[in-house]
Amino acid sequence: MKIPFRDFFTKDRRLGVAIGRGRYDLPLNKDEGTNFLRLLIALMSFLAAMALVGSFTLDSMTQRWSSGLENKLTIEIPAEKENGDLRNKDDMASLLKQVEAVLRNEPIVKSADVLDDQDIQNLVEPWLGKDAPLQDIPLPGLISVELNSSEPAAMEKMTADIKVVDSGIVIDTHEAWLQSLLKMIGSLRFAAFVVVIIIAATTVTAIAGAIRSRIAVHKADVELLHLMGANDEYIVRQFQRHALTIALQGSLLGTLTAAAVLFTIKLVSGGDTALMLPALSASAVHTVAVAALPLVACGIAALTARFTVLRSLSLMP
Amino acid sequence: MIKFEFVGLRYGVGPEVLSDINFTLEPGSFHFLTGASGAGKTSLLSLMYLGRKPTRGLVSMFGQSINKLERKQLWSLRQRIGVVFQDFRLLPHLSAFDNVALPLRIMGRPEKETRNNVGELLEWVGLGDYKNALPLTLSGGQQQRVAIARAVIGRPKLLLADEPTGNLDDEIGFRLMNLFEQLNRMGTTIVIATHNHAIMEKFGHSRLILEMGGLRVEETRSSLRRKIEGVY
Repeated sequence: MKIPFRDFFTKDRRLGVAIGRGRYDLPLNKDEGTNFLRLLIALMSFLAAMALVGSFTLDSMTQRWSSGLENKLTIEIPAEKENGDLRNKDDMASLLKQVEAVLRNEPIVKSADVLDDQDIQNLVEPWLGKDAPLQDIPLPGLISVELNSSEPAAMEKMTADIKVVDSGIVIDTHEAWLQSLLKMIGSLRFAAFVVVIIIAATTVTAIAGAIRSRIAVHKADVELLHLMGANDEYIVRQFQRHALTIALQGSLLGTLTAAAVLFTIKLVSGGDTALMLPALSASAVHTVAVAALPLVACGIAALTARFTVLRSLSLMP
Repeated sequence: MIKFEFVGLRYGVGPEVLSDINFTLEPGSFHFLTGASGAGKTSLLSLMYLGRKPTRGLVSMFGQSINKLERKQLWSLRQRIGVVFQDFRLLPHLSAFDNVALPLRIMGRPEKETRNNVGELLEWVGLGDYKNALPLTLSGGQQQRVAIARAVIGRPKLLLADEPTGNLDDEIGFRLMNLFEQLNRMGTTIVIATHNHAIMEKFGHSRLILEMGGLRVEETRSSLRRKIEGVY
């Protein structure tokens, strides 16, 4: 008589090592809070993308200003004499010529341009308007100078030679206001960096909390898998895959939304640079950095889930 | 196979629920674990399926001292043990099929082999038509059969069952006991915690009796005969 089920029990029995499969034994996706976590990661990714773009924009702004003002200075002949009297046009023209002549003989000077009335009109236009009566306003004489180098000894000699013409002449190397501006931009960039770090820390905390609550909800099931001989990797992979999927969905949503917002800003502003502000940066490196955000978010999520679950499992016998 | 020497277990700072437990289970042996309610049957089983570590004493399983093993080394040992829990502990969101398949998937067996074996076993325990049913839609007896199928699907070296026939009618109960007997003849060591005297009388295996936190081994005529015949 054939014993029922005999073949099944006499088959070769091989114990294998549990390996991860593309399936879940735990209903992680059905948990409450999954949508909340996805939305949170989307918001964090959006903020991170905006902070990154802001940081890149400040970066290119710094570079533009630094390179734009490097080896450049402005010589200003004040509209007033040292005794308080206003200079007349002839005096001003004569002084400008004398200074220009001095500059021509200075070896470190590459070029020198005396600003005419139209140039000065353009400079003051944003403050005084297009139709300002410049002839009634005492304006300084300005010479824009480009240098071959800013070697201190040569600079000192040039300053001394100019001061011989008139001791009241001002030589503005732009250094003072550029330094304070660069300091301010440095602070803003640091703030953007801190924001990105806070966003990353918040994301890690949120994911770790969510994973811990899921472990608590499914404690009995996780223990059962553990008792059946599931190794840590088998259990961890399920949580890791879950966190990674949510992070990918959330971060893609956040990053794409940020891209759409930035594109709209660029479209609305017409790509113009307003006064000192440069257009939103979109170099290849910056674009790749922002596009890599979802990958970074996935990495953070997967690693956070991994270490959180491993820590919980290590408490089991 | 299993050796307990002066094993004690306490929960937290409470009194010992198991005290100076000494016994040896030979490979291929069959035992009933019995005792009054609260005597510590479930606690003793939890030590045997490596769900807990003893507070004191030495436990040796499959020739290895549990006290000296690292966590990672316990995983493969647990895969050699099948457990039928008193409360079944089926995963409520998985179908009967997936619940039974779980041990094989944990072992990393090929999916085709898993499908064939699980299908065959579910048919055999009379649940062929309930493969896709969720545990909550099954009766207590059906859930118990799923739990038993899950415990035996990996052909364990050691099968531990906590009141496995408690929710079953006599006919199914005896049928499942025959399955355990069959597994035992294939070399699986079996320990069944039960209060059911009819089953203990009918199958006549040795009894591990828990009393006052300690354990007493009571051989029966049938178990002595098996020992003499060298079955184990």
